[in-house]
Amino acid sequence: MTPDQMPQTGGYMTAAYIVAAVILVAYTIVLWRRGSAKTKS
Amino acid sequence: MADLLRHAWLVARKDLYLEFRSRTAITSALVFTALVLVVFEHGRDPTAVAISALAPSILWVTFSFAGMLTLNRAFNAELENQALDGLLLAPISRTSLFWGKLVANLAFVAVVQVTGLLLFTLFFNVPVWRVWAPLVVVMIMATVGFIAVGTLFSAMVVRTRFAELMLPVLLLPFLLPPLIAAAEVTTKLFAGRPLSEVSGWLRLLAAYDVAFITLATLLFPATVTE
Amino acid sequence: MTLVQRGRWVTVFALLLLGGIYVRALVYTPVEIHQGLAQKIFYVHVPSAWSAMLAMGLLGVASILFLIIKDMRYDRFAAASAEVGTAFSLVMLTTGPLWARPIWGAWWTWDARLTLTLMMFFMFLGYLVLRGAVTDPGLRARYSAVLGICGLVLLPFIHLSVYLFRTLHPMPIVLKPSAPSAPPAMVITLLSSFAVFTLLYIGFVMQRYAIGERTDDA
Repeated sequence: MTPDQMPQTGGYMTAAYIVAAVILVAYTIVLWRRGSAKTKS
Repeated sequence: MADLLRHAWLVARKDLYLEFRSRTAITSALVFTALVLVVFEHGRDPTAVAISALAPSILWVTFSFAGMLTLNRAFNAELENQALDGLLLAPISRTSLFWGKLVANLAFVAVVQVTGLLLFTLFFNVPVWRVWAPLVVVMIMATVGFIAVGTLFSAMVVRTRFAELMLPVLLLPFLLPPLIAAAEVTTKLFAGRPLSEVSGWLRLLAAYDVAFITLATLLFPATVTE
Repeated sequence: MTLVQRGRWVTVFALLLLGGIYVRALVYTPVEIHQGLAQKIFYVHVPSAWSAMLAMGLLGVASILFLIIKDMRYDRFAAASAEVGTAFSLVMLTTGPLWARPIWGAWWTWDARLTLTLMMFFMFLGYLVLRGAVTDPGLRARYSAVLGICGLVLLPFIHLSVYLFRTLHPMPIVLKPSAPSAPPAMVITLLSSFAVFTLLYIGFVMQRYAIGERTDDA
């Protein structure tokens, strides 16, 4: 297979990298806020 | 050991008597089984897929749902009048209690499954009688391990909110291995293949049963200890 | 420094390293010619699956230890591991289909590994649901431990049964991580990503454990 025959799948890569980052950063923020809570929740 | 079995039988007998008198749980499970089979029958296009391809799945999905319904009743009787505490104070071991409950559950599920199989034969015209003996073997093997886990879990969820919803949620992953194995074996049986061809699946079922009956027996005391 | 603060430092550090992994994977790792750019999802998907399985395994071990030793700290750790495992499972289950769609032509299949990871996700959820439904901490700890142990024992059976049923997950020729045919650059990116995701697991669990300590609502 030559480079110009390579399938164009970049969109999926971008989506996956973004989704993963969003989930991990969001969970970090959630934990951060729960860790800062002054009173028992 | 003799005491263990005797006490277990006493517990099982109590549950069986209770259910025999009121028959509510068994009746609902049987009606449910019949309804599920009817829905499956009308939900399929007879010209599209041959019944022999669908039959094992229909049979086992029906058995699974009915099995979970009967599990719901496992510790329900003990909810009232602190009957569970009474049972725990009785001079029997926790293992006897668990095995008694397990035997009773298996008896109920057996009744529902046998009836379900008869209705299935009636509705779907699948030649079951030719392979009824190995089929019964598979039914037993696929059910025992799953019901052991189910009995264990029902002891836990009985005291939670949404118990009837919680039990299927927790139990469904545990249904997967016996369900796949049972469906595979049943497919081969209906296709007229000999049991020797499915020995791998039967070994898997046996391993699952041994593993989970043992595990459930060991873990049950943790669910009722104070 | 409190546990929460240390956990935060570890997490932030791991996230920064993750950014580094992103750059390395996207810019400095060669593109696989048969799959195109989508193959790079690999460097995020596989380590997140590893973290999820690590979470499940440690949850199981903590459950066993709790039932034997009866120390609430094991229960607290198990609860933390369950929640963190759910997050990593979510990453795994979203990046996986995004990879599968262009490569296999389908968002999902029921092969051994996919079914196993999906069931693992359901087990995490079931574990968290059970904990939410029991108010007494002692009872909750015991019930959770029972479920955790049963779940751990179940995993090999699920894998075996579905594997016997059908196998479709990537064939070793193209995508086996340790295959000598993979260029060193790819292997290094993957291994580095494994390390970062493990560090991230540790940071998350430290924070979640500390939260459990503080609220006693683990």
